[in-house]
Order: sequence, then structure tokens, then C-alpha cells
Amino acid sequence: MSKLYLSGNEAIAYGLIHAGVRFISGYPGTPSSEIIPTAQKIIKDKEIKAYIDWAINEKVAFEVAYGASLANIKGAVTMKQVGLNVAMDPFMNSAYVGTVAGFVVISVDDPGPHSSQTEQDSRFMAMAAKIPVLDPSTVEEAFEFSKKVTQLSEKYGIPVMLRSTTRISHGKALVEIDDQIIKQELNTYFKTSKEWTKQLSRFAATPKQRLELHKILNGKIDKIAKENIPCLFFNGEILILSSGVVFSYLYELVEEYSLQDKVTLAKFDMPYPLSRDTLISLTLPQNTTLSVISRDSMSREISQNKEKILNINKTFSRIISIEETYPVIELQLNTEGRRNGIVPKEGELLPEVCEEILENLKLIKKRKIFNIPPLKRPSLCPGCAHRIALFAVKKVFGKKAIYAGDIGCYTLALNFNVTDIVLNMGASVSLGFAFSKAFELGEKSQDIVSIIGDSTFFHTGIPPLIDAVHYQVPFLLIILDNKTVAMTGNQKTPSTNKNFFGKTLKPIIIEDIVKSIGINFLEVIDPYDYEKSLTIIKEAKKFLKERKEPAVVIFRHLCINTQEGLKNNPKKLVKIIEELCKGCKFCINEFECPAIVFDEGTSKAMIDKTLCISCGCCAYICPTKAINPV
Amino acid sequence: MKLVIIGKGGQGVIFFSRMIAQASAQKGLMVRSTEIKGMAKKGGAVEIHMKIGEGLSGVVKRGSADLVILLSEDFTDYAKIFGDKVFTFTSEEIEKALSSVPMRYVNTFLLGIFVKKTAIFSCDDFLKILDDENKKSFKKGYEYVQSSTRNSSERRN
Repeated sequence: MSKLYLSGNEAIAYGLIHAGVRFISGYPGTPSSEIIPTAQKIIKDKEIKAYIDWAINEKVAFEVAYGASLANIKGAVTMKQVGLNVAMDPFMNSAYVGTVAGFVVISVDDPGPHSSQTEQDSRFMAMAAKIPVLDPSTVEEAFEFSKKVTQLSEKYGIPVMLRSTTRISHGKALVEIDDQIIKQELNTYFKTSKEWTKQLSRFAATPKQRLELHKILNGKIDKIAKENIPCLFFNGEILILSSGVVFSYLYELVEEYSLQDKVTLAKFDMPYPLSRDTLISLTLPQNTTLSVISRDSMSREISQNKEKILNINKTFSRIISIEETYPVIELQLNTEGRRNGIVPKEGELLPEVCEEILENLKLIKKRKIFNIPPLKRPSLCPGCAHRIALFAVKKVFGKKAIYAGDIGCYTLALNFNVTDIVLNMGASVSLGFAFSKAFELGEKSQDIVSIIGDSTFFHTGIPPLIDAVHYQVPFLLIILDNKTVAMTGNQKTPSTNKNFFGKTLKPIIIEDIVKSIGINFLEVIDPYDYEKSLTIIKEAKKFLKERKEPAVVIFRHLCINTQEGLKNNPKKLVKIIEELCKGCKFCINEFECPAIVFDEGTSKAMIDKTLCISCGCCAYICPTKAINPV
Repeated sequence: MKLVIIGKGGQGVIFFSRMIAQASAQKGLMVRSTEIKGMAKKGGAVEIHMKIGEGLSGVVKRGSADLVILLSEDFTDYAKIFGDKVFTFTSEEIEKALSSVPMRYVNTFLLGIFVKKTAIFSCDDFLKILDDENKKSFKKGYEYVQSSTRNSSERRN
């Protein structure tokens, strides 16, 4: 046994490998991105035979990992909560079809949201799909539950979800991990089973057979629900039901305010499926004692408090569900909570928010409120090629053009007015199509520029571009190619030529795809060559006017947040000539490089040398030519 | 104990939390933390909450931190919402670190200063977990505080 200081995501990776999962796919997305790299490191270090790598998008990732499970290799797929939306089709379907070897869906939610479009609750999606879901309350549980979900999936032949949240996935704790990893027999089979005809009726089910599969699924869910019993803590009249990290906050608050004889906490390891009988057994006066579940997975702090876990033999005055972020337990057991306004309907249920709930329940007295001062908004890194690329686009197309952005670092271009709308992965291309067609219908002329990153283009940007060519819809598509999934921590894209093992991969060339679709204006350029960028964008603008069909410009420059990118980045020192700086703040507002700061004392712009990487890009932008190469 | 560490990306927020976690684990204490990084990597805000020997979550409630370690003055007001006790390095200390040790050991030099000035951990707690080069830099920082406080007290006299 070793005690490792692991993040929740790292703990999940260890849990999966320890449970015998040998096929993991996924698409990066904060806060889920560290699971796959950690699993890759484990199998590399321990020389374990497995396939663990990124897919082009979540739908493909899901199908690939699920397919492996149907061929009898334990599989898992990882994604962030909005990624699950992309994988929704196979997700819903897999519940009906069931599994052969265990199959785990890991979806990490982002209440807050800290780095997402929505605060959606993956437990709610699991409920919609009729897929059981486990929700760890601590980092140690993230490790334990990863094993548990795999076992549960194997036992019932059903996909099982492990839902985590930012605070668990990006939390850290000391986790005890067995040094030995059990060798997993990889006995692949499909179509060789004796009962193949019977299997066929589920693998390729007709609608009539699907009804039968639905019935089987309902049977599995009922069985799992009956076995799903919460763990109770403390001995008060108010029963609070919870799951996930919110349970941990509530547990800490009960101890802090000594509410042990006022509140009973019910912890649901598995917030779906729940049986209505669960609540009846908890509410009604009874002589039967509720068995105390072995809690070896819980932290030492809880085990020491085992004597506080009480048998229930009384009724509760109130039953309230406090959970992030949708009413999953609340709807299943029909308790108080969000629907009667006790729990806020949006936002992270941080300890401060849980405290407010307890205050409103008159369990604790008024607390001190702390107002959070505004923080500086995030910006693109100093030297990021996206900045100068989009500055050039803005220079040619002006502020009146519509800029349809996408999901990636370059969303931050909205800070300097080169992004007007961001919807979801790949939508920049569809929105370019939409605005162009809509303005054509309204008989108004309008310049439209779509902006997408390389990985996002691969993910879901290609289908709408095919439509745009097919229907001859004019707009400029800018593809910002930095050869990495930068925002989530520099994961690989399909244009990479080697995997983590150093094995050769076939790089997919973006311009080959674009050309093959039938785009007649295509240029590839390094945006650090600013003058040439301007020329090309002007040509693209002219092409759109004349030809009435889409045009594509690929800006290619390595991400300077990678070692390779920073090492190979051209070095061009710049200085600001004070006499020429008029203090107009154009560089601050329209270029927004963190390395250019405004000195309020002298009313001049200054270079922050601790942040500047000497990319030299700002030398092009000053209206009074105050920024110059040294 | 509840700690909050706040700074910009690249300033050593993650380094400090890792060192404190290792030192605590070495003493047999449970450590929990939670980390919020902004979207921007270089120069963006990084905030780490830590609980040592208590709690189930790593999240530190506003107003409840025993100590806030602040590495960037840009977040001074923000740091104060977590607790009254805020630890910062003086500009002389940072200059001393930059001039005394190579760039990659600056953080361990500052860690030495932190350990000496706050006295939450002992010098030994960290010597056990650092490699030789880092140990040297750590000790330099630790001893710098002793000498500089002596100097200042002498001046007062």
C-alpha cells in the first residue's frame, strides 16, 4: 500500500485500472481532462496492456469505449458534463442494449460554473437514460467508487456512471492505493458466443425487440434501487438527504455548529436509482434496525464517528434534499429542497451557501457575509498567436462584422471585440452559416467571420462546413491551429504524429479536409507574419463578395504554452518609446496582452518584463508607433 | 488547520501547496485541498484551499482560514475575505531570493522564509522531503530571516 497525494481525477484513473478497465477513451474538457493522462502514465509505468487515448469527440469516444465492452474488454469513457450532451445518442441507447464486460461513463460536472457553458447535472442525465450513477463525496471515494461502478456494471450488465464535480476532480487528498495491480485476462470475443442469436436480438434490436430491452432495463433499475440504501449520520429531527461533495460540506457544518441532535444526514453514494420504499423505511417508526453499511471507503474522520451513526426509530419533522445542481434525489423521493425554495436554484452549493440554508432553517444564527471583490478577467497568454491572428482579422473586417466564436482559449478574444457569440463546440461554423443565410433573407449585407480552433474543428466543426459548401453560404472561417487542445491542458489532437508511448500515428491534415470538401479559397499562414496575414484576409474578403461561397484561412502557430512552442518561438525584443506613447490605451483595450500594462502615474503603456516572451507582435499594433523592436 | 494560497499562474502557488501537503503527510496528518485555476494559464489567478488534519472537503469557508498565503498583491482584497491573517513576502525578501539562488530554487528559498516566519511547521518537516539542492536553498532562506531580523533588531537598538 502507498499513500499518494492525488487529485480526484488521478484517483479515478487509479480506480479504473485497479478495477481491470483496459480500454479508456474520452475527449478533454475541464474539469475531467486529467483522468486519461494519469491512466496512460499508470499503464506505461506498470507495463499493462491496454488502449487508453483521446477520441475526436465525446460521441466517438463513447462508442469506441462502449464497443470494447461489448467485445468483453472492460471499458470507460471520460468527458465533462457538456461533453455528455454530444454523446447523448449512444448514452441513451447503451442502457437498453446493456454491456458484456463492465462499462463506466465518467462525466464531471462544473457547478458554478467555473469553466463551462452550463451547470447541468449529469446525475439528471443518468436518470433520463436509466443509468445508475455514483457520486463521490471525497477524493478517496473517487478512487473507491471507480472500482465500485465497474463492479456494479459487471454485476447487472448495465453501463454505470461515475459523476464527479470540479471540487472532487480538482481536489486533492492522501489516498491509499494498493501497489499491486491485478493482472486482467483480456479475453476478447464477439459473435463467438454460443447464444449468438439471442445476443443479436439485443445488439441489433428491431423496435419490437427494443420494447423488450426497455422492460429488461426497468427490471435491472428496480433491483438496483432496492439495494440502494443511504448511510445515516447524526440523530436530529430534520432529515437532510445529499450526495457528492455537498454531503462533505454539510457534515463539516453539522460538526462546526454542533447540530448532531438537530439534524440527521443521509448520504446517498448512488443518487439514482432510488426506490420510494427507501424513504418510507427511513421515515416510519419501526423496530427494524437499518444496517450500518461498511464504510471502509470513507475517510478516517468518518469511521471514527461510526458510533454517531444511529438506527432510525422515529419520524422526522422535515425531509430536505440538498444536492448539486438539479433536484435528483428530491424528485425521486418527493422531498423539500429546490422546488419549495429552500435550496438555491442555481450556483455552486459552497459551504457558505449550505450555511445560509441552515440559517434559513433556523438551525444556526446569522453569519457574517463576505462580499467578493471583482477579480481581473482572464486573457490570452502573452505571445499567444491567436491574439495577433484575430487582431489582423479585426483590422480588415472592422468592428461591424459579426464574429461567431467557439469553445477554446480564443473565446477570450471577446475581451478585445473579436467574438460576439459563443454557443458550444463547433457552433461557430453553423452560426456563420445561419447569420449569412438570415441576412441574405433579410436582404441586408453583412460580413460574417467564424472563428474555431483546430481541435474544435475536428470535434464538430467539419459537418457544418460541409453544409456551408453544399449550400454555397458565404462567410469566412478562421481556423486557429496551434496543434494542441490548449485550454484543457495541451492534450493531443488528430494532427499529432505520435502517441504517449511514442508510437507513430498518422497525422490528419486540416487543409486536406478543407480542400476535399470543395472550399475554393484556402490559405495557410503563420499569424506572426502580420503583413502577409492582412493581405490574405483582404483577399478572402474580396473572394466572399465576388463568389458567394465560404472561404477558409488557417492560422498555424504552435501554442506557446507548450515546451516545444515556447522553445521554437521567434524572439523579437520590443520597447515602448515613452515620447511616442500618447496613453490612448489602444494596446490595452484592443490587443489586451497581459505583458502590456498601463502606468496610471505616467499615463503611458509599459512592458511587464516578467510576463513578456518577446514575441514582437505588439510592434505592429500601436496607432502612434510607440512600440518598436529593439 | 485551514490554509488558502492565492497568486498568479507561475508564481509557485501549486509548489507551495505541494510542499505543505508533503510536509503534513510526513507527519501523519490528513491533507485535503481544492484548486481553482482560471481559464488563462500565464498570469491568471490560481487559488488553492487546504485543510490539514480536519474536515472531509478541501474547501475553506470565507472568513475561516487560519492563514492566507498571498503571492500577488493584485489579490490583496480578495485574500482578506478568507481570513484576517495574511502572509506575504516583502519585496526585499523576493529580491534576496532572486539574487541568492538560481531561478529554479527561488521557491524553496521563499519556502524557507515562510517556514521560519510563520513557525507553523518546523525546519525538519521540510528537510525530510527536499532533495539536496533544494535543501541548500531552503536553508539559505530560513537562515536569511534569522539574520535579517537580527539586523533589524540591532538597528532598533
